[in-house]
Amino acid sequence: MNTLKNKENKRSLASIFFARTETGVLLPLVILLVIIGCVNSDFFAFTNLVDILRSSSYTFIIAAPLTLLMISGGMDLSIAASTALGCVVCAWGLADFHIGIFPSILLALAAGAVVGALKAALVVTFNLPAFIITLGLTKIVNSFILVTTDGIAVSNLGNESFKALGQGKAFGMVHWTIILAVVIGVSMHILLNRTKFGRAVAACGGNRETAKLAGINVVKTRYIVEIMVSVFAAFCGVCMCSRFNSGQPAAGAGTELTIMASVIIGGTSMMGGSGTILGSFLGCVLLAVINNGLVLMRVSTNWQNMIFGLILVISLFIDRYRRAKSGGGL
Amino acid sequence: MSNFVLQMRNVTKRFPGVIALKDVNLELCRGEILGICGENGAGKSTLMKVLSGSYAAGDYEGEIVLDGSPVRFTGVHDAQAHGIEMVYQEMNMMLDASVAENLFVGSLPGKNGWIDYKKLYADARTLLERAKLDLDPKMTVRPLNSGQMQLLSLMRAVSKNPGILVLDEPTTALTDQEVDTLMEILDSLRTKGVSCLYISHKLEELYRICDRALVLRDGQTINCHRIAEVEKQTLIEEMVGRKVENLYPKDEHGFGEEVLRVEHLSVPHPNIRGRNIVEDIGFSLRKGEILGIGGLVGAGRSESLGAIFGQYTMGVHKKIFIDGKEVNIRSPRDAIRHGIGFITEECKLNGIIWMLSIRENMSVANLPKLPGRFFIKKGKEKKVVQKQMTQLRIKAPSMETALVQLSGGNQQKVILGKWLMNEPRILLVDEPTKGIDVGTKADFYKIMSDLTKQGVSIVMVSSDMPELLSMSDRVLVLAGGKITAELHRDRGETTETAVMAAAIGE
Repeated sequence: MNTLKNKENKRSLASIFFARTETGVLLPLVILLVIIGCVNSDFFAFTNLVDILRSSSYTFIIAAPLTLLMISGGMDLSIAASTALGCVVCAWGLADFHIGIFPSILLALAAGAVVGALKAALVVTFNLPAFIITLGLTKIVNSFILVTTDGIAVSNLGNESFKALGQGKAFGMVHWTIILAVVIGVSMHILLNRTKFGRAVAACGGNRETAKLAGINVVKTRYIVEIMVSVFAAFCGVCMCSRFNSGQPAAGAGTELTIMASVIIGGTSMMGGSGTILGSFLGCVLLAVINNGLVLMRVSTNWQNMIFGLILVISLFIDRYRRAKSGGGL
Repeated sequence: MSNFVLQMRNVTKRFPGVIALKDVNLELCRGEILGICGENGAGKSTLMKVLSGSYAAGDYEGEIVLDGSPVRFTGVHDAQAHGIEMVYQEMNMMLDASVAENLFVGSLPGKNGWIDYKKLYADARTLLERAKLDLDPKMTVRPLNSGQMQLLSLMRAVSKNPGILVLDEPTTALTDQEVDTLMEILDSLRTKGVSCLYISHKLEELYRICDRALVLRDGQTINCHRIAEVEKQTLIEEMVGRKVENLYPKDEHGFGEEVLRVEHLSVPHPNIRGRNIVEDIGFSLRKGEILGIGGLVGAGRSESLGAIFGQYTMGVHKKIFIDGKEVNIRSPRDAIRHGIGFITEECKLNGIIWMLSIRENMSVANLPKLPGRFFIKKGKEKKVVQKQMTQLRIKAPSMETALVQLSGGNQQKVILGKWLMNEPRILLVDEPTKGIDVGTKADFYKIMSDLTKQGVSIVMVSSDMPELLSMSDRVLVLAGGKITAELHRDRGETTETAVMAAAIGE
């Protein structure tokens, strides 16, 4: 009788563990940490951990709002293009227009907002497929940057204090981008879980017709999320501009799919409706750990994408198992 | 040689934590139609999945015996090879393929990988004629209504000459005429010696077509009757396991002022361009009244409700008066603001958000009314949701349970709760009890009666004749885009024949 009770208890513990969306990413992350830590204990040095968080912070600044977008049933390949645009526009503000730090940042965010609004109009109002539209936008924006910059970085920003954003450390310990990423992540978490807007976002992705019939302004909600993602992507570009002290036309190039993959690894459904910010954070950290850990283990960086790809595939299996364990349907 | 074509002996099917079937026994004779009835969750679908090979041999205990010899199905294909065909409730149609291709999918005529289109269309035509479907075999399936698709999926199964045909709630999407056709087809199959398992909530149908009826409850075989020798009341009692006192608790009370008036309502046809499904109709609704809307499937009843609620706006013409004042309803948002709630027909399609919890599903239509401007106060939210859950007797472990995990009846209750939280004055209800079990149905009728007593007015679209007649104070019948009859309960006009006559345009 007693053993039976124990068994029941164990099962419920397992089901509590597997009920969390983040399990699919946490499990590979922990395993990876153990393996890398065993091979090279330098991995756990404070400065190395800060380095990992620093590189995660750039992806997470985009991944956090992107999580909301994907929960609302959307997707966005144009994030990397918005990052590059934000990076270059911010550099123009400082180097060419000499308008000062904050106006330059605002100008970059506005450029992101324009891309976001254009994307929202095409995807939401004209109801065109997001995959193709954002792919097209990526090409248009990237080409615009190349035409205007000739592919040459915008340098000579001439503003020393601007460097603080991407290079400076808070209290001399952690980089400001890490602090910003945490603030953005917590805000997005609260926005998603505690506000009426967040509830509307989840409803839009869960079942658009139901959301509409429930009196939710689906179009407005989706517009806000679409624009938000592009603005944060542009902000990520601003951070890169500060970090490189120049406007790089290729900033963030090729990261759109890895950022989306990080969100998916974190347990956000491609179909919309469910997902967590914490999961996306862990997804971004996982990506950074792979990149960092392989270097420390003296494995060729050529292996990075294979391992990331494998974990992406495996995490979906864990997710499937998890849903079966916790008794949920699909 | 046994005279049973099919025996299922002591079938037990376990899922982690629950036993879905427990020692179920079933016997089917040649040329017999055996009705299977039971509440939702009684195990009907699980039993059929065992039979159809969806659960392979080894996934369950017990045995399946065909013509006296035990069989072990490795999968659906195996069961089909043994002559068992299923017609599912969900119609699995390839919407952009032709009618003929849909009918013969998997068994297209022809040789060496080439399709013999001539034969395909000829065979399809014969099948369509048998089903009394006036369709071109070459047309795509997309514009068809759900009744026509349901008949197509039946004919698809029939075309394979099965020995045993399994039908799961085949009439939910059918009009009365189509039901007649279905019954004729089944009857002719029976005389040819085809045996049939007929799952249905509708006792009328069991009495009409079945030879015997098997009652399942909580995964167990309760009883098996010759249908001619058993009372309806007995079947209902066995299904729910308790005495159902009165299915339709209708109490008489007076009505107040007119709360809603609809004038000049025209709604475009969803599938046919340039035609209106409803043309210039109008009606009014008084406080505390239940106005039933009857008619055949495809008469435009659901579309009318959707147009009034602001779900459809393209090409819709309407004038809506609430409390005698004209209001402009351009979106569901406007309708909700004017105190209207809408429980839609296809709850799985646009009623529920299945991966969200009961709590989130319920408060989704009430976000503006929840306390707080921007932030949701979870404590208060939980309180109002808990109140609805208790009042509606929703069976779930907690309010955090996701909707996927609930039974159909409970899902429907959650949707009802969602709209009740808004304290609506007018409820539009579309097929409120479609596909839900008898016990939950009774709950629903009780709730609707209570609501009208509190002064809520209800417009109810229903294809369930007994429900329509016994719940409505007044019945409008829609046919051919017009209101063809207005029947008053207090004048004794609401009879089955009167509604039918108006619905078929007599």
